[in-house]
Amino acid sequence: MADLVVNGQVIELDEDGFLVDADVWNEEIALALAQTEDVEELTEDHWKVINYLRDYFQKFGVAPMIRKLCKETGYDLKTIYELFPSGPAKGACKIAGLLKPTGCV
Amino acid sequence: MINQKDLRPKDLGRSDEQLIKLESLMELKAPYDAEGMEPPFTEPKQAWREKYCASLDGYVGIDKLTRPQSKEEEDEFVRKFLRGLEKVFTDANSGVLQPFLLSFEYCAKCNTCSDACHIFKATNSNELYRPIFRSEVLRKIVKKHFTKSGKLLGSFVGADIDVNWETIARLGELAYRCNLCRRCAQTCPLGLDNSLLAKEIRKVFSQEMGIAPSPLHEKGTVNQLKTGSSTGITKPVLLDTLEFLEEDIEELYGLKIKFPVDKKGADILLTHNAGEYMAWPENPIAFAILFEEAGLNWTLSSEMIGYDNVNYGIWYDDAQAKKIALQQMKAAKDLGVRRIIIGECGHAHKAAAVVADRMAYGEDKIPVESCLPLLWDLVKSKALKFDPSKNNFPVTLHDPCNVVRQMGIVQPQRRILKEICPDFREMTPHGVDNYCCGGGSGFAIMNSMNFAEFRNKISARTKFDQILGAFQDTIEQVEPPKYVCAPCSNCKGTIRDILEYYQATEKFNVHYGGLVELMVNALVSMKKPFFEFLE
Repeated sequence: MADLVVNGQVIELDEDGFLVDADVWNEEIALALAQTEDVEELTEDHWKVINYLRDYFQKFGVAPMIRKLCKETGYDLKTIYELFPSGPAKGACKIAGLLKPTGCV
Repeated sequence: MINQKDLRPKDLGRSDEQLIKLESLMELKAPYDAEGMEPPFTEPKQAWREKYCASLDGYVGIDKLTRPQSKEEEDEFVRKFLRGLEKVFTDANSGVLQPFLLSFEYCAKCNTCSDACHIFKATNSNELYRPIFRSEVLRKIVKKHFTKSGKLLGSFVGADIDVNWETIARLGELAYRCNLCRRCAQTCPLGLDNSLLAKEIRKVFSQEMGIAPSPLHEKGTVNQLKTGSSTGITKPVLLDTLEFLEEDIEELYGLKIKFPVDKKGADILLTHNAGEYMAWPENPIAFAILFEEAGLNWTLSSEMIGYDNVNYGIWYDDAQAKKIALQQMKAAKDLGVRRIIIGECGHAHKAAAVVADRMAYGEDKIPVESCLPLLWDLVKSKALKFDPSKNNFPVTLHDPCNVVRQMGIVQPQRRILKEICPDFREMTPHGVDNYCCGGGSGFAIMNSMNFAEFRNKISARTKFDQILGAFQDTIEQVEPPKYVCAPCSNCKGTIRDILEYYQATEKFNVHYGGLVELMVNALVSMKKPFFEFLE
């Protein structure tokens, strides 16, 4: 997949548009990733989901289970899909700079 | 590009940018026989063609198989493959050496297997996916390079194949157009098994050339050996998750349940595919509700690899398979449990009960059992009380190949469904004659580039058609909801994806899930439905 260019910096993406190196993530990169996911702007609701995902990822090294994401942010799955049309894993996690989910999920 | 009808095994080395193009597929049953009900084929990106091997059928399964940058790299690739191939014919430690050699040598080309293959069927008998096509390519390569007659006489004795990078790379991709479901082996009058050949090709790629799809290797077995799970779930994540689920169970169902963790000397160590915790937590929850209500002496493990029963190694790499199998056994041994019960994961059944049986010996070995006979026992002995009217909607059963065809566990799951689901209907065919879900041998988790399209349109097509067949009388009515019971994580993932791809949940109210969820939904003790779609 074409890499992302943010402020002149080239950010490497995998073939499915996820960051290859999670450590390079910042808010500007999140905005650029959001464009690739047809999310025009990041509202307060979006940031609540993104921040929760990032906190969990930094603490545990993986994405939280979807059920937990919904409960902790207070958004049901339908709302998450409205915010991130490709869903929690392919949409929200990608924009939050998490790596692509692995295993039988 | 060749018209698939004219395609022959010797063509695999041709220089075409893409060998064949899929156009005609098996017609699906109503309402999917109507125009526009199925998303169209997409074209692979030009960048993929340049970087990977998209030259077989336009799909890319192996994201680590990249085109060489020099003639030297190209030659080295071919050399390594041939060297690895020579080994698989002489490896006395390979548990499948004899059946592999017999399958390689004795095929009479009667093509009985072709009719058995769901991929061949789904593609309207496309030559590329004929089960013996791949085997014939392999035979030609071996004939050309490892036999005197082939070296001397070439095409006169069938060694008429050009062996170059393209040939080998396409053969590697073609090894990932087979689900290793072994339905063909079951019908072969000589008992030969094409899937063994496909698997050995995968193995040469991984073990000798370091090339395997990253969802299986780098993000799969390597990740599992490093973190404890292919999902990346570590011990702290598992414990955090279980605590969260305990709260959820109390809030949702008013039940106070504590997951037993690392209970020394328990009768049963229950192992789940760790993907269940991430994607289908209702499955481990349902197991806990049933086991607690039945008063079983059981535990989960939180120790390294003890909490993830997957073993992707059995699909592509014997060395990885063994490392994982032995660590899983060790986790059970350290806990001093009497037996391991494998939860609803098909390939974990085969890996732990069949493959690992030849890997761990003596004191290192703990008996491994399937959850299905145990669950039937709980129903039959009336240890659990059910009200079948709670499951008053059409239910059909998918048979996971590894559990049913490979291990012969056919009846327990049906007996349970007949007891607890008043509107249970079989698929056609079913039992050991079932068709693979289309996600077997790693396809369920290979989602890079356009491979998911191959799965949704082709390898899972026959299964989707069977699901439509089972619900023909009610499919076009939104009510009642319809349920596909698939007691296997990989099958569930595949069925989830086809229901989404064909919008079958959205349009026709078709749902899917495991077996234990249906059992819990029918428990007399449950105050409210276990399924969200019933609320």
